Amino acid sequence: MRHTLSRRQLLTHSCRLGVASATLASTALSLGLARQASAAALSDYRALVCVLLAGGNDSFNMVVPNDADQYGEYQSLRSDLALPQADLLPLNGLAANGRSYALHPGMAGTQALYNRGDLAVVANVGTLLEPVDAAAVEAGARVPLGLYSHADQIAQWQTGVPNDRIADGWAGRIADRMSNVNLANGIAMNISLGGTNVFQSGLLTSEYAIDSAGNGAPTLSGYDDPGEFGDYKRRIVDDLLAVPQRNLFRNTYRGRLRDAIDAQSVFVSALDAAPALGTTFSEGPFSAALRQIARVIAARDELGACRQTFFVLVGGWDHHDEVLDNQARMLPMISQGLTEFHGALTELGLLDAVTTFTTSDFGRTLTSNGRGSDHGWGGHHLVMGGAVNGGQIYGTYPELQPNSPLDTGRGVYAPTTPTDLYFADLARWFGVSAGDLDQVLPNIRNFYTPGSSDPPLGVMA
Amino acid sequence: MPQHRSPTPANAWRLGIAALLCATLTACGGGGGSSDRPAPPPTATPPPVPAPATPTQAELQGASRLAAQSTFGMGYDAIVRIAEMGPEAWLETQFDTPTTSHLALMDELLANYDNGEYPEITEDVEMLILSRRLAWWHRTFTAPDAVRQRVAFALSEIFVVADGIDALAVFPAGLATFYDLLLDNAFGNFRDLLKSVALHPAMGLYLSHLNNRKADPVANTFPDENFAREVMQLFSIGLFELNLDGSLQRDGSLEPIPTYGNDEIREFAKIFTGLSYGGPAATFGQQNPYFRAPMTMFDAFHDTGPKTLLNGQTVPTNQTGDQDIDAAIDNLFNHPNVGPFMSRLLIQRLVTSNPSPGYIERVAGTFNNNGTGTRGDLRAVIKAILLDTEAVTADATAGKLREPIVRYTHLVRAFDPRSADGFIFNNGFFLQQVLRQHPQSSPSVFNFFSPDHAPAGAIADANLNAPEFQITTATTIVNMSNVVDFAINGDFVTDAGDAFETVTLDFTPYAALASDMDALLDRIDLVFTYGQLSAQTRTAIIDATREIPDPNQRARAAIYLLLISPDYAVRA
Repeated sequence: MRHTLSRRQLLTHSCRLGVASATLASTALSLGLARQASAAALSDYRALVCVLLAGGNDSFNMVVPNDADQYGEYQSLRSDLALPQADLLPLNGLAANGRSYALHPGMAGTQALYNRGDLAVVANVGTLLEPVDAAAVEAGARVPLGLYSHADQIAQWQTGVPNDRIADGWAGRIADRMSNVNLANGIAMNISLGGTNVFQSGLLTSEYAIDSAGNGAPTLSGYDDPGEFGDYKRRIVDDLLAVPQRNLFRNTYRGRLRDAIDAQSVFVSALDAAPALGTTFSEGPFSAALRQIARVIAARDELGACRQTFFVLVGGWDHHDEVLDNQARMLPMISQGLTEFHGALTELGLLDAVTTFTTSDFGRTLTSNGRGSDHGWGGHHLVMGGAVNGGQIYGTYPELQPNSPLDTGRGVYAPTTPTDLYFADLARWFGVSAGDLDQVLPNIRNFYTPGSSDPPLGVMA
Repeated sequence: MPQHRSPTPANAWRLGIAALLCATLTACGGGGGSSDRPAPPPTATPPPVPAPATPTQAELQGASRLAAQSTFGMGYDAIVRIAEMGPEAWLETQFDTPTTSHLALMDELLANYDNGEYPEITEDVEMLILSRRLAWWHRTFTAPDAVRQRVAFALSEIFVVADGIDALAVFPAGLATFYDLLLDNAFGNFRDLLKSVALHPAMGLYLSHLNNRKADPVANTFPDENFAREVMQLFSIGLFELNLDGSLQRDGSLEPIPTYGNDEIREFAKIFTGLSYGGPAATFGQQNPYFRAPMTMFDAFHDTGPKTLLNGQTVPTNQTGDQDIDAAIDNLFNHPNVGPFMSRLLIQRLVTSNPSPGYIERVAGTFNNNGTGTRGDLRAVIKAILLDTEAVTADATAGKLREPIVRYTHLVRAFDPRSADGFIFNNGFFLQQVLRQHPQSSPSVFNFFSPDHAPAGAIADANLNAPEFQITTATTIVNMSNVVDFAINGDFVTDAGDAFETVTLDFTPYAALASDMDALLDRIDLVFTYGQLSAQTRTAIIDATREIPDPNQRARAAIYLLLISPDYAVRA
């Protein structure tokens, strides 16, 4: 019969101790928890938090040119979608191209993080197979499959493989290779606040999905009941799920339910045992998700985790319609959540250990459809954390102009930085070795030589 | 958004626990309040066997399988009737059963509210949001056009509109009229369905071709491309050229051949310019929703230039907008991909996640020609899907994971739901929160799950798709089991809120069988797993419940275990 772990029995496993001790490992084995006897040597904790702005954020209105002539070009290209220059929130300093840029008026918190050096912008990044401009695309250069299509582009931003349709994502491939740095207690390295996702799906590993509310993981009703009823409930459910299933789907279902019940008790016990978080988060799903992530990070020792990735999905960015109103409502929510999360990580003393980054299906057309914008290609993204070389814009923010050499039509600019370089910086910082980079990002050599003394992009310190 | 009353799972939980705990102890005094029904008479007589030829066990199992594929779930008596009529005759009767309208019920509920019937609801907007949800659930639980309702739901997972757009939540006629459109066209012709979908204002709002105007070179604006793309990718032909059996055509380099590119999207975007709300105050650009008529074409805002559609077909200049739309719908409808593309999606929604090429080809062939020369006859297509040899035989390897909504409707419909006023009220908020699924509430136009989802591990390794596994996470899989527990053991059947009558289920026919565990399990197996319950799971259920003294609670506990078992979760 299975028993819920009590707090007293709960294992703690600190990365600061390096390799898990023999005592710890044998205790884990005796509890039937460990699939591996010990964890690999890692002396610190690190986490990546991927924020997916699903639908295609119109990021040319999130990061906006702010010197006179480029703002003028922006205003003329975007027509009714242009934000008033007086409302923009300036970013300190100049980009490498000598120009100044500003943030959407609703992102004051993000502006402050940038200006204090804890947040960077990656400009005009997108899915690519080789460097291209509009003429090269016209001439038949290799471009991603299903360009401008949600289904393909949102997947490729998670797989990192724009020339194929695959189901495993780059965090999944990392977990396939690195999961053994964590205690094998049924809680996956990859934790999702957005349900099943491609980013965290590996060939060997899957995400552990939790909720933003409560303790994140629901209990099978009655299963944890301390009395006789609990004994009964555990017995009958365990017996039911012990029945072997030859049918592949049934066996998969059986395994998922069994694993979920087992993982839940470990997970909730760990959260209960971890120090409470003092930082307050505002209402709303994005802040709630980040709050839950902060709580899980606070329980990293109780969970025996040295490396974790988190996935948050924020939907509703496909603004063919009412892009100005919608972004005015939604970007402040993102900025607020990031600011609160930054506060929580500061409280935990883990600002340097956690890097948060945005992704999205694509940027959008610079030109308007009269009410909103349509599917584009390159877009701008945010990277936040103490380990980020913040206060800078990476990649090249394209010169906005009529008949730009990058304009593939309707003001859809070809990306000037491939996602490969963006992701490679994050993966290397997370601990992926130069030798493993090819497995995690199979197309990296289109743009970068793993093992090079230069960083892929240089965002991470 | 109104504050909807959250359900009381904790309370239901306690009740569920109490019910089962009582069952395991000998003395429970007053019964713990788990059920307000009197205990069934110990020698309840079984339902009378109807006069027509008594179906064989195999016929009953076939009828139950068909009910699981083609309806939101049936109880024992309905399964017997299907078996007596025979699958084909029953289907024909179902096809001929007229639509039970969701809009009509929604309007009735709103009228009741206006007459002061639901005083607990104090905000008009709350009642508006509730109305289409309550209508959906009541119709789904009770409507006689059971197959039509189920096929419409399948279509709603292909032609997705959803209340994530606020206007579609607070102006409920949008989703209700759209659902009625799917019901009305479920057994009609695909061309009519596609055109109705394209012109429905809820779709116009959702995919933003409503108030979409022709290009304006001075203002530097262009037609909206949203619907133009999705009508091809999701609603008709898909991304790649297909063979009749659904397999990909390949070019000389063995690469798949795209069906369209961005040029075609921009041409179709021009087609869908000039549309706005219809109705009495129809003017282009109006923002006040009107959902009770198709969108109206305003030619002054329509692009009248030449357009080149799929396969190089051109649309002449200066046609009216309505003529352009007919030309575009014809262009899409006659593309050879539609048959195999839509056939696979419908088979996946109703029967199996991995239809064989032969199955797709047979159904697509029916789509292309119903036998009397008509293309796009959905009645013939649905019939071909449900009566195919692959639909009536067990799938030992895979099958189809039941989706949460349909698991839930099944358990309610199977036990004769009732309430004091006859409405089977459910607002669906609790289910949506814990199962991540609610009708017409998909997070995006891509539905709750992808038809191509292949979970990592054994399923992906076997090159199989399992769409419903995409919303089967560590949280939803436990929550689903708890929803079953609350409904079966805890008397928390629906989330009606305080304003509406409580719904109860009737387990007495099962309690009447519970003195004989084999008879009980035979019945449960027939109704829920059409004879596919494995011997070992059956034994586990019997061993777990045979000692429960009260026959009603014994029956419920056995039903609960079956309904959370992998044997039930996956239809094979």
